[in-house]
Amino acid sequence: MEIVTVYGLNLLYTVATLGLIVLGLAVVFGLLGVMNMAHGEFVMLGAYSALIVQNQGLPILLAIPLALLVCGLFGWLVEWLMIRHLYSRPFDTLLATWGLAILMRKAIEGLFGRGYQSIDQTVPGTVHLLGVDYPAYRIVLFGVIAVLFAVLFGWYQRSNTGARIKAMVSNLELAAAVGIDTVLLARMTFVFGVCTAGLAGVLLAPLVRIEPFMGLDYLLSSFFILVVGGLGSLEGLLIGSGIIGGTDIVVSAISDKTAGYLSVLTISILFLWLKPDGIFSRR
Amino acid sequence: MNRREFVKTSLLGAALAGVAVAPLRTAIAAEPLKVGVLIPLSGPAGLFGPSSQNCAMLAAKEINANGGVLGRQIELQFADVGGPPADATRAALKLWKGEKTEAFIGMHDSAVRGALTNLFKGQVPYIYTPVYEGGECSTGTYVLGETPNQQLEPVIPWMASEKGADKWYLIGNDYNWPRDTNAAAKGYISSSGGSVVGEEYLPFTADNFDSNLAKIKDTGANAVLITLVGGASVGFNRAFASFGLSAGALRLGTLIEENTLMGIGAENSANLYSSAGYFGNIESPAAKAFADAYKAEFGADAALLNALGESCYEGVKLLKALADKTGSLDAAAMDAAADGVSYDGPRGKATMSARHVSRDIFLAEANGNQFKVIKTFENVGAGNNCG
Repeated sequence: MEIVTVYGLNLLYTVATLGLIVLGLAVVFGLLGVMNMAHGEFVMLGAYSALIVQNQGLPILLAIPLALLVCGLFGWLVEWLMIRHLYSRPFDTLLATWGLAILMRKAIEGLFGRGYQSIDQTVPGTVHLLGVDYPAYRIVLFGVIAVLFAVLFGWYQRSNTGARIKAMVSNLELAAAVGIDTVLLARMTFVFGVCTAGLAGVLLAPLVRIEPFMGLDYLLSSFFILVVGGLGSLEGLLIGSGIIGGTDIVVSAISDKTAGYLSVLTISILFLWLKPDGIFSRR
Repeated sequence: MNRREFVKTSLLGAALAGVAVAPLRTAIAAEPLKVGVLIPLSGPAGLFGPSSQNCAMLAAKEINANGGVLGRQIELQFADVGGPPADATRAALKLWKGEKTEAFIGMHDSAVRGALTNLFKGQVPYIYTPVYEGGECSTGTYVLGETPNQQLEPVIPWMASEKGADKWYLIGNDYNWPRDTNAAAKGYISSSGGSVVGEEYLPFTADNFDSNLAKIKDTGANAVLITLVGGASVGFNRAFASFGLSAGALRLGTLIEENTLMGIGAENSANLYSSAGYFGNIESPAAKAFADAYKAEFGADAALLNALGESCYEGVKLLKALADKTGSLDAAAMDAAADGVSYDGPRGKATMSARHVSRDIFLAEANGNQFKVIKTFENVGAGNNCG
């Protein structure tokens, strides 16, 4: 019984963290059509922001504003210099952002070195929950991610900005014609996407390995989720995270890790082949 | 997704292939001795490139200051072998036939070693330095690294008697080094009165260890033998500690060196042990002198000293010892003279027999993000590798 509870909590953790990581990628790809290959590197920027704050001996919560500032400014610059010239050229953005990803990895390698870094647990230890000992920080993370998604969902449904974004996505020319500043809106959407990646980096930093190549992990799993879940909806994103994360966990538990990874790949290939728009398609 | 991954890896490869051969010039007249040093400067093991390079350079500098090898000054030629074996073969061939390199020292994975022994075919001395799975017996090849035999034969019984480790869980990445290490471990575990309660191999891509940790907890293991490498080891050990498992089970790694421990972090390193032929802070005079010289040469901020990097220093030392005894660099003559060659390095005295060296093995316990050697096992043999 205990082991079932642990697997249940692990599943929840996997879905929550995958959802958090893929959120920004889904926003940028789903709304702007930009396949951001440097998405994982923005997660890395978030993690290294936490490292800077820790090394300076500052309160770790300052890592959140620092990461948002770093990712926001850098994201703004990237959109202005590179992305805005490439809208509606998906393959070009793919190559350009892949180049950007290499540049970001090398820059971090130059600044911090190739070696592994470590961020202390903000909330160390375990708590007794539902009859099992579970890492306390993960429990905190559940709450933070749930609140974040709830706020975001409500805001996107109700706010004026949300309505403008929807207008821009469904008909760019018409939106511009009725006076929506689509250039600014697109830029802010991109900046928002990479900022959520940075935030994910800060939140996950105490749990994961930190080194210049860490972003590659997140890119791959994010793509699997987008393939399965489909683009442009929060529901699809969570369902995709559930299917990918759930398959991995369940198959790994029954068999082993290799079988888990293999089944994730198989599902992704089947979706690309038979249902290329994913479960929740806007089209 | 396959196509994207293909794009990803091929672009990565193209970007990293730029780092190729970086010859190092030691300005000296009369025919310097060109020694090829094959180390990963790119790829996953690229982390160990800088310390390996430093250590090889330090050894060459010290030997050159004392008259060189057979009266010739060593000129190191570095090549990146962090990529696939075919690329490594090409880089080695370029040095061997193009630059007339007379001896090779390699710190890289076993796949590359297999390709290189096939290329060299015993025609040029080749010293392989890192920890590995054992069993290399090719002509002209000399192995310095710790074998599973050396790392585990004395350590597992010690863990059983001193720490009560009798229910072992074996976890590693899915390739030959972890599998061969665990095969050796099983013998030592059963002869020390323990049992193996679980055995798992993970793909290199694994970054979530939740299901493994649940299984470890479920089996009631009180010792975990870790043969995960690099980032996987970091991620596993962090998660292991965050689940509060470190109080109930000790962890023993055979490739947890200083960089990996940095990534695991001080608060996740309780009850973590590592078995190796070298640690950066061994207390012996020879090791201290080496660490001081390293610091003096490369500064306090230089790449952390670790067993893999330091093995390149040992490699240059062994080359000199082999050449001195043989009186030449002729591969066949050296092969005939190799048995019994010995030298003193930072690890202590190493003596060659059957292409391997017997040497001291250190068991260290993590203390925060530093290792502290708690037990030295003297002159441990490499086991039967040519059988």
